[in-house]
Formats: sequence, C-alpha cells, structure tokens
Amino acid sequence: MELANPGLPNFDYVRATTPAEVIGLLLQHPDDARLFMGGTDVFVRMRDGAMTPKLLIDVKRLPGLTEITYDPETGLHIGAAANMNAIARHPVVLEHYPLLVESVNAVASYPLRTRATMGGNLCNASPCADTALAALLLEAMLVAAGPDGDRAIPAGAFFLGPGKHALKPGEFLTRIEIPTPPAGWAGRFIKLGRNAHGDLAIASAAAGGYPDESAPSGYRFRVALGSVAPTPIRVPEAEAILAQGPINEKTCDAAADAARAAARPIDDVRASAKYRKAMVKTLTRRALVEVWAMLQKEG
Amino acid sequence: MATHQITLTVNGVKEHTQVSSNITLLTLLRERLGLTGTKNGCAAGECGACTVLIDGEPVNACMVLAVETDGAEIVTVEGLARDGELDALQAAFIEHTGVQCGFCTPGVLVSARALLNRSPDPDEDEIKDALRGNLCRCTGYVRIVEAVKAAARGGD
Amino acid sequence: MNPSSLSPVGESVTRIDALEKVTGEAQFADDIQFGPGLLYGRVARSPHPHAQIKGIDVGEALALPGVKAVVTGDDAGGKIGLYLKDRYTFCRDRVRYVGDPVAGVVAASEEIAEQACKLIRVEYEVLEPVLDPLRGAEPDAPVLHPDLGEYEVANFIFPRPGTNISNHFKIRKGDVDAAWPQCDVVVERAFRVPHVQHVPIEPHVAVAQVDRSGQITLWTSSQSPFAQRNLIAESLGISQSQVRVISPYVGGGFGSKAGVSMEALAVVMAQKVPGRPVKMRLTREEEFFCAFVRQGLVAKTQAGATKDGKLLAMKTEYYWDAGAYTEYGVNITRASGYSSTGPYEIPNVWADSYCVYTNHPVGGPMRGFGMPEIHWGIEQIMDLVAEELNMDKVEFRKKNCVREGSIIVTGSKMHPTGLLECIDKAAQAIDWGKDEPASAPHKRRGKGLAIMWKAPAMPPNPGSSAWVRFNEDATLTVGIGGQEIGQGTFTVAAQMAAAVLGVPFEWVRISAPLDTRYSPYEWQTVASRLTWSMGNAIVAAAQDTRRQILELAAEHWGENIDDLDIKDGVVVSYQSEESLPLKDMVVYGLPKPNDQGWRGGPIIGHGKFMPTYVTGLDPETGQGPRSVVHYTTGCQAVDLEVDTETGQITVLRVAAAYDVGKAINPDQVRAQIEGGVVQGLSTALFESIRFGEDGAPQNPSFVDYRIATVVDMPLKIIPLIVEVPQDDGPWGARGVGEHSMVPTAPAIANAVAAALGVRILDMPLTAEKVFLALEEKGERS
Repeated sequence: MELANPGLPNFDYVRATTPAEVIGLLLQHPDDARLFMGGTDVFVRMRDGAMTPKLLIDVKRLPGLTEITYDPETGLHIGAAANMNAIARHPVVLEHYPLLVESVNAVASYPLRTRATMGGNLCNASPCADTALAALLLEAMLVAAGPDGDRAIPAGAFFLGPGKHALKPGEFLTRIEIPTPPAGWAGRFIKLGRNAHGDLAIASAAAGGYPDESAPSGYRFRVALGSVAPTPIRVPEAEAILAQGPINEKTCDAAADAARAAARPIDDVRASAKYRKAMVKTLTRRALVEVWAMLQKEG
Repeated sequence: MATHQITLTVNGVKEHTQVSSNITLLTLLRERLGLTGTKNGCAAGECGACTVLIDGEPVNACMVLAVETDGAEIVTVEGLARDGELDALQAAFIEHTGVQCGFCTPGVLVSARALLNRSPDPDEDEIKDALRGNLCRCTGYVRIVEAVKAAARGGD
Repeated sequence: MNPSSLSPVGESVTRIDALEKVTGEAQFADDIQFGPGLLYGRVARSPHPHAQIKGIDVGEALALPGVKAVVTGDDAGGKIGLYLKDRYTFCRDRVRYVGDPVAGVVAASEEIAEQACKLIRVEYEVLEPVLDPLRGAEPDAPVLHPDLGEYEVANFIFPRPGTNISNHFKIRKGDVDAAWPQCDVVVERAFRVPHVQHVPIEPHVAVAQVDRSGQITLWTSSQSPFAQRNLIAESLGISQSQVRVISPYVGGGFGSKAGVSMEALAVVMAQKVPGRPVKMRLTREEEFFCAFVRQGLVAKTQAGATKDGKLLAMKTEYYWDAGAYTEYGVNITRASGYSSTGPYEIPNVWADSYCVYTNHPVGGPMRGFGMPEIHWGIEQIMDLVAEELNMDKVEFRKKNCVREGSIIVTGSKMHPTGLLECIDKAAQAIDWGKDEPASAPHKRRGKGLAIMWKAPAMPPNPGSSAWVRFNEDATLTVGIGGQEIGQGTFTVAAQMAAAVLGVPFEWVRISAPLDTRYSPYEWQTVASRLTWSMGNAIVAAAQDTRRQILELAAEHWGENIDDLDIKDGVVVSYQSEESLPLKDMVVYGLPKPNDQGWRGGPIIGHGKFMPTYVTGLDPETGQGPRSVVHYTTGCQAVDLEVDTETGQITVLRVAAAYDVGKAINPDQVRAQIEGGVVQGLSTALFESIRFGEDGAPQNPSFVDYRIATVVDMPLKIIPLIVEVPQDDGPWGARGVGEHSMVPTAPAIANAVAAALGVRILDMPLTAEKVFLALEEKGERS
C-alpha cells in the first residue's frame, strides 16, 4: 500500500497571466505540468503520490477565470476557477439554478468550498463529482481554451471514464456555460453518503423537469446519476418513460427502476454495488417525486 | 526548486518572506511565523483544525500554497481577540464549555467567526452546516453549537 | 461560581484551561519550538502483514543529501511493553503487521526523511498471515510469537506458549452445565466488533533529544509520561533517572496516547544524533494503523433465564483480535473476562477470554478498555432474553442488575451503586414504553436501552501523588502527574485542592506541562482513574498543607489547632476570633513576639494514594474477594428512527445516566457524557478499519474512515447524574470519562431492533448493513 507523504513533494509554481501562457506551458510540459485552481484534489493526490507534477500552473488570476455572469439569452457563465461558495451565494445562481446550489453545497465543507472550484470538480472526472450531475442535467457547455482556440464541449461528452475527460493536450477548461433552464423548470439533487452530510457520494441522483407540450405526458424530465458508473451519467431510459407519461407514482417508480437498471456500480470501501443499485432507485424516485410536486405547485 | 518572495498580512501584521513552491500556508504559519494556534490534524482538508480566514473567507490552511497568499490578508485564531478583548465566540466557548482538549478549538472558532460574519443570527441547521468540516472527538459538538448560538445572540 | 463560596467541589466552575485554549496559546507537543537544530524522523514500514526480514540495505538512504542517520532493529535496545514485553521498537527479524517499523531515518526535513525511507531496501520472506482471531486461536495456525514463553510478563497474565494466545482469562462460577436445564429460555449468539481507531484530532508526536552523557529528554503528547519513562528506560536497560518526559496539553487521547506506541521510535533515532532534537510525527494516515487501534472482538455468548425472568447462567467466549503485539491488550482480555456478565447478578458463569495474536495493527487501550466491545454483545443478549420471555426490557434489567451486596461475576460483593436509579432516569427521559410515531411513512421509530459497568482496569497497585506549594501572595500551585487530555482533570484537581485548603478556586494553578523531573508520580492518565485516585492524593496533599498552616497559626496564637479553620484564604480562630491572611504566613512564616525570631517557612505539602485492597483472582476460576477498586454503572436510552428506503439511522434522543458517586464538577460530568455518547454513536454507525486480504488497511484516511461530524450528533442528548457515594473516592467520587461511550452502541442496536424487528450482530450499523438486513427480511416498504 502507498502511504501519504507528510508534505507536498517538490514542484515549481507559476501564476499565469494569459491563456496563451497556460497553453504554452501545458504543451511544453505535456506530462508533468498540471493546472492548479483550488488544489483540494491535486494536493491530496500529490501527497499520496498518485500525481507527481513538476509544475503547477495557477490560473485563478487569468481574466474571467473566477467570474460569474448571467444573461437570460446566453445563460450562466461560471469561470472554471470560481470557488464553490462564490457560486452558491451568487444571487443569480440562487434565483435560477437552485439545483446547482444544492449540488455545490453537498461538497465537503464550507472552508473546503472556499478553495474548491466547479472547474476542478468537473476536471477530476470522478464518478462521484457532485457538480457534474448539475452540469449534465442543466446541459452545460464546458469551454476550453487550447492551441486551436476555444472549444465548447457538451457536458454529456466531457466525461470519458474515472479521471478521464475530453480535454486535449494543451487545452484547459476556462468556463462553464449553463443555459437558462427551460420555462417552468424544477430540479432536485439528492446525495447519499455515510455521514448525514459532507461525505463523498455512495450514490447520488439529480432530476429536473419542465412543461413541454410536445411530450405526450406534457413534461420533459432529465435524470442524472453519480457514483454508480465509470462516469456521472444521464439516464435517457428513465427520461423517456416520464415523457411518455402519465406522470404518477407508478411511472416515477418505473423511471427509478430504469435508473437502477442503467447503473453499473462497483464494490468499494464505501459501499457494495448491490446497495448502490438499490439506492439509485430510492434516490431517483425521491428526486422525481419532489420535482413532480414542485412542477404541480407551479403549474 | 523555485522560491518566491511574498508579502502578506497576518493578524494585521505585514510579513515579507521567501517560500518554496511546495510550502503550504499551514506550514508557513506554524513553522515560519511561529503562529502555532492553527493546528495540523490531517493535512488533507478533512478535519478543519487548520481553518484560517483568507480575505475574510475560511479555508483549510493545509490546502493553500503559501505562494498563493501573496497580497492576502490572513486571520488566525491568534487574531480573533482584538485590543485585548476576546471575540464574542471565544468568550462563549469559555462560558459554555465549548472546549475540551482544545485541539480542534482554533479551527472551530475561525469557522464560526466566518459564519457569524456572513450570517449574524444563524439557526441551528446553519451552524451545523457551517461546522461540518470541523471534526471534534471530545465534546460531541453539543456545547460547540450552544456556544455559537450564544455568541450570535450576544453579538447583536 | 461565586469566588467566595465555601467549597468549589460540586460547583460547575469554568475550566481552568479554557482561556488559553480559545486564544490559541495553549501549547501542544508539536507547537514547541526547537529552533534550526531540529531534525525530523520518519519510519520505513513493513508492507507485509507477516514476514521474515532477510536483510536490510540502508546504503542508498544514508547517501541521500540531508540524511543524518538511519536506524534499524539492531540499534533499538531490548523488548518493550506494559504487561507483556513482546515487541521491539524497530523490528529485528520479523514483521507482524502492515506498518510495523523496520527502519528509521533522521534527516534535515520531514520530506528528505520520507524520501530516504523509500530508498531503504528490505528483503522479506513472506509468511502466512493470521487475519482473524478465530483462525489465530486454532491449533494449526501459524505462530506469530514463537518465543512467547520467554517474554517477561505480569503475574496476573497467563500466556500459552506455542500458540497465539497471549492471555487466557477464565471465570468458573457456580455450575453452568447444571443450570441450563433449569432455564426456560436460553439464547445464544455470536457478535463481532471491528477494529476502530481513537481518532484524536491531534496526531501522535514525539520529539527526543539525547545528550552526550546519554540523558534522554522526550517531549510527547502523552497520557503516560511516567509509564513512558519507565518502559523506555527498561527497554534501553538504563536508569529511569536518565529519561525525562515532558508532556504539554494532549489534543485528545482516548487511550491512544497511553503507554508507549510510537514514542520510542523517536528516542532510538535521537540516540544516533546526540545533541540534536528529532521530531517524529504520525501523519493522519499512519495514525489509523501505526499507533494503537481498538482491538477487534468475536464474542460468543449464551445466556439463560427462568420464566419469571431471573437470569441463571451465562457462558461467554471472547476471541480478541489483539493484533501483532499485545503488551497492553492482554489486560483488556483480563478486564473483559472479569466483567463478562455486564452489570448483572448471575449465579452460574463460565467465561474464557482469549487474547489472540493476529497480523493486524497493535491493539491497545481505548476509551472503555474492552467494555464497549463486550457490552455490544451482552446488552443485545439481554434484550433477546427479555424478548423470549416476553418481558419489558427495563423490567428485566431491573430484576437482574447488580445492586449493593450482589455477588458479582468474580464472587466479590458489589458496593453501593445507583444503577437502578440510572435505569429509571434514562428510561423516563425518553418516555420509555410510549409508542411514538415516525416522522414519515418510510421511517420506523424505535427505542432501546443498555446498561453498563466498568471498573478501572489496572495493576493492583497503581499510585498517585501530589504536592501543594504557595506563592508569596498565597496563590498556589498543585503539583500533579495526571494529564489534561480534554477531560477537565486540571480543573477538577484545582477544585479539590481549593476545597480542602479553604482558598478560592481562582487562586489555584496546576503544575503544567507535566515533566517527570518535577511532577509527582502518577501511574497513567487512563482508566477514568484520576478524579478518584489522583483526587485522593490531592486531598491528602491539601490536608497535609492545611495541617502545616494550622499548626503554624496555632503556635502563633497559642491556640488549639482544633479551633482553627481556613476560610477564603484566611486562617480564622473560632475561639479567639483572630484571623490571618494566608499571604502573611505561607512563604515567609510568622514573627515570634518581641522580635525573638521567626517560625514556619515556605509551606509545602504532599500526599499519595494507592489502592492497597485489590486482591488477586484465582487463575483457574477468576474468583477473588475484591477484583477491582469499584465499578461505575450507568444506563443509556435511545430513541431513533430508521429510513427503511436507505437504512440510514437518525438518533433523535439519547438519555445517559451515570452514577458518578459525586460530581465534583457537574458541568464537566455532563460534558464527558455528551462527548462519550457521540463517540459511541460514531463507532456504532460509521467506524471500522477495513482490511484487505493482503492485511493492509483499506481506509486509513478521513476520506474513508468517517467519524461523526456535527451533523451526525443526536438531535438531543440528555445527560443525567446519579450520586451514590463511593467509599474510597474523594467526596465519594468515581470516574465517568470512559463510561459514557460503553452502552451507546448496544443501545442503538436495541433501538434499531425495536424499530425494524431486525437485529444486527456485527458493528457498525452502517446504512448499507441495515438496509440489506431489511431487504433480506423482505420487509422493506
């Protein structure tokens, strides 16, 4: 077994001032340069030797990297290095993206979230990344700067496997663009950990819905799961059941069953695959029932 | 390995110092500046014993590079009392026995100070939410929560 | 508290250490500054649970720039251990757990030392490991300590050479075989308790410096400065006078910082670099398996009762998963044996308690010293027997629990105890017997309770001593050797001294940090023994001091000492109504009349306490007239609800009542109860060190070893104090520090069983385990 070191190994630190500088450094050191935002994951992995970068590139002071802006047309733009507390207390986020606030506040603790960033959370590409569910459900675009200019990657195409994402050499995430949710949208994020709050997810589920006359049920739903597959996933099978309708306890249950079927969890020290599968059903059903209740209230 | 010249303010005092890239703010505070009130409990951002304020916001000092704090304003537990007057939280922790072994106490106090700064009259759930990153193995948290409530009440 | 109140004993005075702890000024061992001469030590550890060391090559490590010295087993002196000397500080020929120290590096920085550790090449011949205590106890199991028969051992510990059993404690009371047929109900179950860790928020740290004459100074975070001095001196074959242990505030101990665990590593490393202090601190990751862990337990228990609810017989086998070295754990085995019935009067008892070597981390003392582990089974068995009898669980316990005069498991007579009152109070506080609705349709509510007893488990003769001396203004210092580990002992010590002396509590200072060169002897800060044992020594020292003061005043006034008293720091005479402030006499003495010289001098009093009445137990039957000094008893009642769709438990209310004899500081007693309840809850719901088939811990970090945070605490804790005085305690006081976590886990298990009809025999009660058990029962909503 590998034991964590008492301190951080040696590395150099540079505070980048332009995107071009970052891209240049990343290309120059393809194997041993690492982007550095909040460090909450990087530090832990450096201490236990899982990651041994020779250079950390701090991008927090790049223009726009910690900015949060909103425009009803283009939606919410979150700088990749904006910290989670800044996101969760932003008035626009509170007003239009309560689901995002829920997923952010589910992460660890307040002091950790002063450092942790949504960009970092997404780039860890951990199956249990809480904000990844919000990104999937809200159909965020992840914008990367790179040698060939900016590139926007749909959240659904970003996660490739545990710790693997779609960024190419020389690219780095600069912002997360989250469209304004459809009219009448309601969403809910539910996470199950070992402690009541603040643990990594054993399993998590997010659901959202909105009225849509083109759907037979009159509503479109979205469902996403965490910690139960190599990446955070959407569950189109569950979404289809609810689009078909009618929406009631039975179809919510059927959709939750579809989520359970879509989950491909593993056994690990946090939970067994068997328990995780069962929890996918519980959490998905609860999220759907709550969303449905909110939709009916609004309707 | 590169070193960096940084200037930061700690508890109102300007410090100029040379740090290597891999030194955390926690190491800088404890081993360079002799501010040992901030404790090292896990070096992984999990226990909260090293919580300090950077520009008013609480962080785990073990999760911050010293070099990043160039230009920042840091407040540690040693900086909570001002002009010889205890912070209302410190007084409440004494009064309500929010302290046992005292090792988590500095981090708890700083987290709680940050809470009261952003929410002067928090309810119990808010207090718990703000302190869930501060592990305590002695008190069972009962009196910590009571002390924060009392400090908030006395603070208005 | 009113400073001029007559006695601070029984008052909830403010903690004496609170101010320095809230300002960050309180000093802990890692806070001590040693200047630029400080070196750092790190340890290379075994990756194998069981292997022979074939060779160690330290050449590359030594060559690394910044490395000052490398040590291995050859440098490390003789064996070390509290009750059984079964370990070396650095392994010699064999490693016995993943993490066993093989070599140490001293370097200019922690990072260099760590880097050098990775350059140490060790050649191992891997041996078959023992990873389960039942396996370890089998006759054909690999023997971990072939030399067990040659180890030095205390005379009340019974190792079985040639096996992995380092202590076998027996109880043979009455005739269980004859009793079973008379029982109308017999219940038998096997329970498992996993390894857990103490998780003090302050990790272990030790700084050692050895001067050129061989004098060793050790700064440690320690519950046991004197025991460390003694054990390290014995191990190195030097005089105790050559070891000085200095120990400031301890950032949580819970037993993990008792005895010697990692501290000797620093000493051995420092011996290689004379004149330089060497700091050794465990990382949080190491903390989980490289110091002490709580022993695991497999408990097989059978209990029987007649249909009118009277317990007749109990038979127990304890297989302690005691780990690689059992120098301390052998006595947990003994304590669990002589407490194996729990606080019940049972005429026929058979118990075998085995301390089994396994290739797991070193088992050591942890809050409760075996009692939380054994009560997990005892209190569930009692619930099951009551269920079979169709009897109310409170009634069943009240009918069978020990009371004054009961003949307990060791054949000794029970002293006065408030256990019945504890049961009534705790049950009443959660409205026992009243069915209350769950908060949602998918939740179920249940109430459960558990009772407990625990005696200080020690050698028969652990001593305490104390002194008192004055400053010029009559403020005074009380010298003690007991450590402040959060439990409030400095405050209680000051209260007791002030009460006896008749001075305001605020005048009292405590001689800290502890320093074996200056502090009076104290065996260890363990066993919840300080309020009682050290308290007795403080009382004796304060009485000695008081006598000296009164004698001086009596002589001065020409009065009878019996007419004098000390009130609020002033000596008063009830006879002549004369008065004299202490500050006018305690340092400079008093002038004789007519300039004829002076009398008196600096007052210094001393006192000691050692129990002299604890007898041995028969090695074949475990019977004896007084097995322990006394038992503290208590009861916890739990009201909780379970989410049947996730298995999550929400503890709504915990009522916890303890007979503390006398609450010297009621507020501190309540604080101990609250803290113990939550630590107990945390072990009940979340905690276990998980081991892979390779014997390595799988979750040595806060990421995957979760402890209760503030959001997990019960919604309400109701601490209740019962006071039935103890004959050998100061003001009648008994200890309560450990006890409050003993019954928490079984009380929760009993409440879960009441809520769900599902009984879980293996700790912890994770949401997953509860959910899957429900699913298996086919009763999930």
